[in-house]
Amino acid sequence: MGNNQHPLAYDYTVTRLFLYATILFGIIGMTIGVIIAFQLAFPELNYLFGEYGTFSRLRPIHTNGVAFGFTVSGIFATWYYVGQRVLKVSMAESPFLMVVGKLHFAVYILTILLAVVTLFAGITTSKEYAELEWPLDLLVVVFWVLWGVSIFGLIGIRRERTLYISIWYYIAAFLAVAMLFLFNNMEVPTALVSGHGSWYHSVSWYAGTNDALVQWWFGHNAVAFVFTTPIVAMIYYFLPKESGQTVYSYKLSLLSFWGLMFVYLWAGGHHLIYSTVPDWMQTMGSVFSIVLILPSWGSAINMLLTMKGEWNQLQSNPLIKFMVLGSTFYMLSTLEGPIQAIKSVNALAHFTDWIPGHVHDGTLGWVGFMIIAAIYHMTPRLFKRELYSKSLMETQFWLQTIGIVLYFSSMWIAGITQGMMWRATDEFGNLSYSFIDTVVVLHPYYTLRAVGGLLYLTGIFIWAYNIYKTISVGRKLEDKELNVNKSPMSAN
Amino acid sequence: MKNIVIVTILISLALLGIIFSYVGNIIGDDMVNILSMLAAIIILVITVGVGLKYVNQMKNDKASGQLADENWDGIGEFKNELPIGWAVSFLTTIVWAIWYWFSGYPLWAYSQIGEYNEEVKTYNKKFEEKHANISDDELNNMGQSVFLVNCAPCHGVSADGMDSKAANLTKRLDSISVKHVIMNGSNDGLVGEGIAMPDRNGLININTGNSISDAEISLVVDYITNGFVGSQGAEVFAGVCSACHGTDGTGIPMVAPNIKNFTVDLITAVLQYGKTGAIGKMPSFKTEDMRLTATQQKAVATYIIKLQEGSK
Amino acid sequence: MFHWLEERPFFFAVGVFLTIAFAGLIEILPSFVEASRPTVGTKPYSTLELAGRNVYIADSCNACHSQLIRPFKNETDRYGMYSLSGEYAYDRPFLWGSKRTGPDLHRVGNYRTTDWHENHMWDPISVVPGSIMPAYKHMFSKSADLETAYAEAVTVNKVFNAPYNTAITMRDGSSVTVKLPATYDEAKADMLTEAKIIANSMKNQDVKDAVEKGEIPQIVALIAYLNILK
Ligand code: HEC
Ligand code: HEC
Ligand code: HEC
Ligand code: HEM
Ligand code: HEM
Ligand SMILES: [Ca+2]
Ligand SMILES: [Ca+2]
Ligand SMILES: [Cu+2]
Repeated sequence: MGNNQHPLAYDYTVTRLFLYATILFGIIGMTIGVIIAFQLAFPELNYLFGEYGTFSRLRPIHTNGVAFGFTVSGIFATWYYVGQRVLKVSMAESPFLMVVGKLHFAVYILTILLAVVTLFAGITTSKEYAELEWPLDLLVVVFWVLWGVSIFGLIGIRRERTLYISIWYYIAAFLAVAMLFLFNNMEVPTALVSGHGSWYHSVSWYAGTNDALVQWWFGHNAVAFVFTTPIVAMIYYFLPKESGQTVYSYKLSLLSFWGLMFVYLWAGGHHLIYSTVPDWMQTMGSVFSIVLILPSWGSAINMLLTMKGEWNQLQSNPLIKFMVLGSTFYMLSTLEGPIQAIKSVNALAHFTDWIPGHVHDGTLGWVGFMIIAAIYHMTPRLFKRELYSKSLMETQFWLQTIGIVLYFSSMWIAGITQGMMWRATDEFGNLSYSFIDTVVVLHPYYTLRAVGGLLYLTGIFIWAYNIYKTISVGRKLEDKELNVNKSPMSAN
Repeated sequence: MKNIVIVTILISLALLGIIFSYVGNIIGDDMVNILSMLAAIIILVITVGVGLKYVNQMKNDKASGQLADENWDGIGEFKNELPIGWAVSFLTTIVWAIWYWFSGYPLWAYSQIGEYNEEVKTYNKKFEEKHANISDDELNNMGQSVFLVNCAPCHGVSADGMDSKAANLTKRLDSISVKHVIMNGSNDGLVGEGIAMPDRNGLININTGNSISDAEISLVVDYITNGFVGSQGAEVFAGVCSACHGTDGTGIPMVAPNIKNFTVDLITAVLQYGKTGAIGKMPSFKTEDMRLTATQQKAVATYIIKLQEGSK
Repeated sequence: MFHWLEERPFFFAVGVFLTIAFAGLIEILPSFVEASRPTVGTKPYSTLELAGRNVYIADSCNACHSQLIRPFKNETDRYGMYSLSGEYAYDRPFLWGSKRTGPDLHRVGNYRTTDWHENHMWDPISVVPGSIMPAYKHMFSKSADLETAYAEAVTVNKVFNAPYNTAITMRDGSSVTVKLPATYDEAKADMLTEAKIIANSMKNQDVKDAVEKGEIPQIVALIAYLNILK
């Protein structure tokens, strides 16, 4: 391992900025998540902030906040860290890339803040995960292009000849999101055409079934390339790094990567099963979803095998706990999703709470845990300070794990119950339940979910506090203390 | 850590147990329900099972392999072969996919609308066989279940109209409605399309030769809503209304509806055409809209008629 | 060969891009040909209906409500005839939703009425005990954005040839023309005429007064939209 002998002076200015953003948007997005979860159990909570506080106004702020605030900041933060290290170049070597990086952050922050404001105001195009109106879309394009410049700029001046696995996944995320985003956001500004009305309003370029097709081609792959590939990029760096272990199998990495690239894009049809899109396209969605299990599991298994024989690390290091349980939740959600994509299962699961259950298995257990671990790993190295408290990390881990279990088990029960009640017929062949019957039974499960969410959010606050304390009062570290694998952490 | 394994298994069992205790009685023989329960079990079993397998390796095995040449920021790579289970499963899913694509839901032969038509046909056949000679009691029960799903959102679970948000169906007519009809006439197709009742200007009292007066209106409204009792009201009714609604108010086919009691014909007419009146608008439940079949309409009518008997 | 790619970022990126773009082409293009033709009886939205649709979107009703009836007997029993592709020909954006916290609304115009919506949007639990839908009282006082709705109609007419001012054959053989006047003032007058009919079946006095004054509260536009969902 001769590479660590002359560490480069990596420049983490931009990483630090995105790290703050990750924590900030994590808190905002998940606080709103907890609020909307409680609103479904206790509808009176809809009226705390007038028209701005209803479930329906807040829900898109939650999804945008956690996906494009929390997750995307986390992706950028880790990119500016991992990118430099596995390519073995420092941002400081290129003033141009430094400027690009800072601009990237500035435009990004502006966009997300404007997104929050406009969504509160009810300015939305309604397409899931693409709610923002066209002026904001343009800003998104700007910061995305800046990210691309940063990726390929750093690659251009790299010292490490071959690209590490993480870099493959970052590149894929960049390219795919760029393509998907452009096509799904084709909109015609109405004021421009007619000379009337509000300047930011637009209509979709596509209508009806076509619009749905493009939207879910986008929506499904937004999941793939925001909640999956960049997170896989993270685990391929942070788990081997933190544990000091060797990645188990290059072949498995390779097949999983190209398999994922090839199969993912075909599976979008599983959001449109039994809709009005052609039958063959729906079947294609089901078929490719099942095949997708293995390329997804490949990465998770590769990581679990990397930890072979390292049970003691798993027991003693909370960061490793987050990552190992994270890959297990990744396995859970990438088995659950495909099975929900089978036609006869989707007939029941679609439109029910089982889907948000699946969503949060992935987002809380996989995305959330990986980002939390990544930030814990980076913080001592970014600020040259020892992590403030290991026992707080342990507490956070257990609180959040219980939170996820409550979330997903309650939504499984709610979803399956609701799905079956909608279908149920009585002895006369009439529907057995009016719609409201199927709403009222869910109350206990909505409450449980909200409590689970609250536990997870508590963990997020503990995390933010721990990082804040690390930065402000953590023990200062010598350079040589940083050149270890295991993140330096204080035991208390 | 062993505890975690046990806890996981317990949670999984509890989870499936709770789901089952809720839906056990409605799963029935619906394939979709059965497959979904199976799906839930498979997801848990495979994830937990495979997870445990690797946990075991973390505990008891040791990583080894031939190192690749590269090394990134201290991270190395083994050149290990693919795990065999993984490779075999991958191939299995591909085989399954081909089966699903060409045989499960054959690409050129499967149609979801065809599947739907089949579902409806099977259901209708079963329904007709089962209820060929349906009794009044059964109609009433069937009607109640139709009512609770389709009508209760407006008429309330107890059919009382929820504070006049819709008609109170426990009673044939209330005074506001009768008065409204006399003042404005009515043309809702209750006895057939286009057969209307005139407004007050067209309602002539044959005893006086004049159109109905304010005083007469309030008399007849009281008469009707009190269940056809009161002599002065009866006189007005005989003079103005009985020509069309019959001397006892039970209506004359193709002329005017029964305004004393609900009848199956009246209610199915309301369901067919909807109804606009003093309280508001009743939407139609036309057979073409596919929400209620003729039998279901008859059933809900029977149920409403029975409600009157209950409240008497 | 893969290792070769891993040392050449440019070709690596091209390889990834081709792999992912290919699926997109096959998945999306074919259906564009046939899916967009309207079914008989499908007509473009009137400007007031568009204003209502925009209220629906602004308040993200689609977060809880679907507008897609799947071809299962239990769904057609509950909501009516399953949805057809051509019925959405003028839906920009589509509003199928992906979660039924509340019931499907694709044909709600068949079995709910103006006054029911008035009561329900003001206070859902007063009509449906146990409902968890939020009340939308602000819609009774805020005015709908009529001019933007007009702008939208003009846009879809100009850019996508939505057939305004054209006779459209209905299912019963009659024909209907959806008007799109040349000026906003005329369009506004039409919207008011339509709005008055709805306000007449409502009870809220503030709403009636507003329409009398020439303003259209959001709730009126929204109900106009909900009523034509059939
Ligand atoms: C010319 C014939 C005629 C006369 C006279 C007449 N009706 Fe009617 N009435 C009808 C018809 C036809 C209908 C059904 C209208 C419809 O389909 O909406 C009707 C409907 C009604 C209804 C509505 C029933 C319902 O379920 O809502 C009421 C109440 C009623 N009549 C009361 C009266 C009273 C009271 C009088 C006398 C003061 C009267 N009618 C005189 C023809 C008549
Ligand atoms: C959207 C609300 C709504 C729904 C759903 C509804 N109704 Fe009604 N219904 C009304 C209203 C409002 C009236 C009163 C109309 C009037 O003013 O005469 C009414 C009137 C009636 C009447 C006429 C009562 C009379 O005395 O003339 C009958 C019968 C009736 N409904 C039966 C049903 C049945 C059966 C169902 C379900 C299959 C049903 N309704 C569903 C709103 C509704
Ligand atoms: C928090 C979830 C939620 C939101 C947001 C929501 N609804 Fe609902 N909606 C429900 C539920 C639950 C029901 C069923 C209970 C009831 O009828 O109130 C319902 C019922 C309805 C119904 C009656 C449909 C029927 O068949 O009975 C209509 C119409 C409706 N909502 C319209 C809207 C509109 C318009 C909006 C947005 C402005 C909206 N909803 C927002 C949850 C929601
Ligand atoms: C093999 C991989 C996966 C497959 C095949 C898959 C499949 C599915 C299916 C079938 C649905 C439900 C569609 C519906 O009926 O509405 C769904 C929804 C969803 N999944 Fe997955 N899933 C996978 C992995 C993941 C992962 C890892 C995440 C997140 C980390 C995720 C996030 C989501 C989200 C956010 C939705 C909700 C989309 C909506 O808004 O409707 N999925 N997925
Ligand atoms: C404190 C933790 C969280 C809570 C309590 C929470 C709660 C919720 C609730 C209540 C919904 C709406 C479900 C519905 O409409 O029925 C939702 C949707 C969603 N959340 Fe979360 N959430 C949390 C964290 C997250 C995180 C961290 C992410 C992503 C990284 C996320 C991504 C999503 C997505 C994508 C949806 C839309 C799902 C769909 O449309 O099917 N959530 N969340
Ligand atoms: Ca957009
Ligand atoms: Ca969704
Ligand atoms: Cu998907």
